[in-house]
Amino acid sequence: MGIRGYYKQFEALSEEEVNAGKRADAAARRQRELARVDPLDLTRTTWPEYPPPSIVNAITFAARRGLHRYLDRHATQLRGELAHLHGVPTERVVVGDGAAQLMSSAAQALLEPGDELITPWPSYALYPVMARRARGHAVPVPGFGVDAILSAVNPRTRIVALCNPNDPTGELMSRDEVARLLDALPERVIVLLDEALRDYVDPAIEARDAALDLGEQHPRLLVFRTFSKAWGLAGLRVGYAVGGPGAEPLLERLEPELGLNELAQAGALEALRTAADLAARRGAIIVEGRRELTGALAQRPVAVAPSQANILWLRAPELPGAELAARLSRAGVDVAGGGRLGDPDRVRIAIPHRPELRERLLRALDGALGTVER
Amino acid sequence: MRTDPTDNGGLFVGRRPGTAPVRYRGVPERGSAKRRAVDRLLSGAILAAMILICLAFWGPIPAGGLWIAGRVQYVTDNLGLALLAGFVSLMVALFGGLAVLKRLDQAWILVRRAAGFDQRQGVLRFVFPVTAAIGVAAFSFWLIIIAGPGASLAPGS
Repeated sequence: MGIRGYYKQFEALSEEEVNAGKRADAAARRQRELARVDPLDLTRTTWPEYPPPSIVNAITFAARRGLHRYLDRHATQLRGELAHLHGVPTERVVVGDGAAQLMSSAAQALLEPGDELITPWPSYALYPVMARRARGHAVPVPGFGVDAILSAVNPRTRIVALCNPNDPTGELMSRDEVARLLDALPERVIVLLDEALRDYVDPAIEARDAALDLGEQHPRLLVFRTFSKAWGLAGLRVGYAVGGPGAEPLLERLEPELGLNELAQAGALEALRTAADLAARRGAIIVEGRRELTGALAQRPVAVAPSQANILWLRAPELPGAELAARLSRAGVDVAGGGRLGDPDRVRIAIPHRPELRERLLRALDGALGTVER
Repeated sequence: MRTDPTDNGGLFVGRRPGTAPVRYRGVPERGSAKRRAVDRLLSGAILAAMILICLAFWGPIPAGGLWIAGRVQYVTDNLGLALLAGFVSLMVALFGGLAVLKRLDQAWILVRRAAGFDQRQGVLRFVFPVTAAIGVAAFSFWLIIIAGPGASLAPGS
């Protein structure tokens, strides 16, 4: 190394040279991020988007206002808004930590050891669990029909838990069928009607509160709704139950002992006051998406149960549900395998709320079914 | 949520701007202790040369320009040409000097680093204003006191 070379080696890289290296690294990182496609999660029945900022702001405001004191344990304001929404007296509305907690409380309140809870099957997996916890027996009835339920009724039957529209099949029991069930059931049997997915029913088929009206003639009907699904507030854990005239004492027993937490009340109240049509708008999106998707699926070798929910209960011939779910997962689309939901031959697919996501699902399904060259 | 990385409430949460370590193309092979001592002397010599050049801007270079102008007038008996020659030679000397100073400053940085110092910036930004202040003061003293009205106000002093 000559004298010039010796001193040259102490020359620093210019800022431009240093930045060029950093720019190249950043470009490579950006390229990697753009090439990455997140899996499409269709395993959940909750709404996939964030809640409106106004609701989050209301929760934040409630938190800052002061959490050091006890809250309104009867959630008077929230119950008042809900009562106004459904046109019933406030005393016939109760709010709780999600519809599931209220239904569980109803089972605890109603079931004596050895009593039976009838539920169509497959259905929401919590019903057998809540029967067991209340020291009762769950009686799953295959199918989703009134006659099947009535055939299982016996003197030990105390509760009929009906998820309507049904999770995971998406089937809807019409208002008239529910009325027929209520008419036919013995006096001591209470119907817990879980309408968590009700907002996704096509209004052209049945009005949103059609079954709620039945409470006026059938005091043994309790209708459960939630803010977790179409409202997209699953993290708040807010649900409510509406009963008919005379159901007030039972409803009181469902209420959480020390009330619903204040942040949940604030969020639900804000949702009702400032985004009252949110669930209806999202319901319309799903109705449209469901129509489009079921039309596309009709041209493919799959069997889909008629759905009025945001889910499709799908079976591919000669392909077990777990295998279909695994193939879809490899294609970047996650669906719920039917094994844990009551039918291992099927998968439950949440209906994507955007057209491009539905396209992606169909492409993945075609690949999984082998109907296209991969 | 804070998303602007420069929004740090007035505190430097990372490195202070302009204090990043020097990044070399490769790891330099440093010389022996003796060579580093020589480099220290060399850097001093370069600094001295820079000071001399800077001082030259305020005396020798303008005087050289005047001398050239005088010689041109003597030879050609043309005042305009003499002024042009003086001006051009002055400009060439000034800008040439600045170019040399810049190179010397860069060389000084490299020699200082070779001598073992973490030298990040040159010294010209200090040398030039200091020598300019000295040069202006000296020129003003000569102009006002020695060559100007001082001589007539206090003759013989």
